[in-house]
Amino acid sequence: MTASHLRQIASVAGLLVLWQLLVQTGKLSELFLPAPLSVLAAMWEMTRSGQLPWAVLVSLNRVVQGFVYGATAGVVLGLLAGAVGWIEDLLDPWVAALYPIPKSALFPLFLLWFGLGDTSKIATIAIGVLFLVLVNTITGVRSISPVLLKAARDLGASRLQIFVKVILPGALPNIFTGLRLGAGMALILVFITEIEATKAGLGFLLWEAFQLLDTKKVFAGVVTFGLLGVAATWLLQWLERVGCPWLQRSN
Amino acid sequence: MLLALRDVGKAWLLKRTGERVTALQSISLDVHPGEFLILLGPSGCGKSTLLQIIAGLEAPSTGDIRFPDGNGRGKLTSMVFQDYALFPWRTVLGNVVFGPEVRSVGRGEREAKARQLIELVNLRGAENRYPHELSGGMRQRVALARALANDPEVLLFDEPLAALDAQTRRVLQDELLRIWAETGKTFVYVTHSLQEAVLLGSRIVLMTAGPGRIKQIVDLPLPRPRHLTGRAEAELLDRLDGLLGEEVNRAMAL
Repeated sequence: MTASHLRQIASVAGLLVLWQLLVQTGKLSELFLPAPLSVLAAMWEMTRSGQLPWAVLVSLNRVVQGFVYGATAGVVLGLLAGAVGWIEDLLDPWVAALYPIPKSALFPLFLLWFGLGDTSKIATIAIGVLFLVLVNTITGVRSISPVLLKAARDLGASRLQIFVKVILPGALPNIFTGLRLGAGMALILVFITEIEATKAGLGFLLWEAFQLLDTKKVFAGVVTFGLLGVAATWLLQWLERVGCPWLQRSN
Repeated sequence: MLLALRDVGKAWLLKRTGERVTALQSISLDVHPGEFLILLGPSGCGKSTLLQIIAGLEAPSTGDIRFPDGNGRGKLTSMVFQDYALFPWRTVLGNVVFGPEVRSVGRGEREAKARQLIELVNLRGAENRYPHELSGGMRQRVALARALANDPEVLLFDEPLAALDAQTRRVLQDELLRIWAETGKTFVYVTHSLQEAVLLGSRIVLMTAGPGRIKQIVDLPLPRPRHLTGRAEAELLDRLDGLLGEEVNRAMAL
């Protein structure tokens, strides 16, 4: 463990201890800022009662489905647009027009079309993920040096082989960038879509706790969202290490 | 004769100005089996374009390439690019097997072949490294092995050593000569370096600038190994220097 690590741990531990002390000595109100230990206790209680694991499962189901649909569509469309000129022409104006729209703004429409169930939430998440993955995949395909395509052609590769053996691996680093951004977007969107018109999920739990002014539970929800974000980042980093071994530093 | 260029020309339109640029004009040239043919000329004389046309990566605007054997292009040529053009996501071995792989050669066969070639270019032990873990000289060796893996009759080199430092270049020039002699392949080699041309070539095609034409074809019957300080070499350098100098001046005057 380096000095840098120690400083980082000291920073977090110090602040948590200070926070705990400030609440215990009555300098901070538990209503606004419950002590770290109380939040921990609340999380433990919610886990034991099954409330928190259930909420996480419900939300994860929406996140994972939306992410998988959106990412798959984004990668496929992005590779095709990057590799085939006319597909890009068909896609380009739609991307330009829809990309700047906050995808949460589409949620009411999806509620209207797909109803109050999971479908509208999954669709919102999928759309949000799709655009980030699509745009990054196109960037990835465009970043491939033309001389690599030439070399592949010179060595006898067919168009399909160039697509599979050059364009796909060449775009992979950018695809992973898109997936990481997409995972963050999925968590944002699952929270937003669970505020209204649902009776389950981590976002619903958090929002309901807020309306009841149960600040400890709000904090418990926020911390859980944070843990999900960390887990998603780890998972994607691991996938990237497996998928792009040539990006590793050499030692 | 391995392949013959007949009256090959290349021109294109500059989109921005609508100007028509003639890069190559009436190039007629026979490539003989087993020779080390140098295409020498000032920057912008179209020698790289000519190489791409021979490789089949560009179509000529006029004229044609003939393959007297009648077997068409097949796997006649393979190219070694100046900036290596290695696939960064493939290891050394993965790069070298690429050609046989896309030509559906079985895994065992293509890997055995690739290992042989990696040995030939003195890269044994580096099979599992990625290109970014190699020096420039080593990368160019990989590119050479990759080009050889398709067992082409003609190897095309597009200024392959231009990006390397002087020391590495000297070593690789000797390596190229060794591999040329060992494999008996035909080399067509683009360079703008007189010294390189005299050290390596068995024939030099001297090109003019703008539009690229053949100015003169010079035979180099000098024995090897050659040294730039040798008398015959020095005389030849002098003569070529005069010829090339005219073209460089003409090119700069444009």
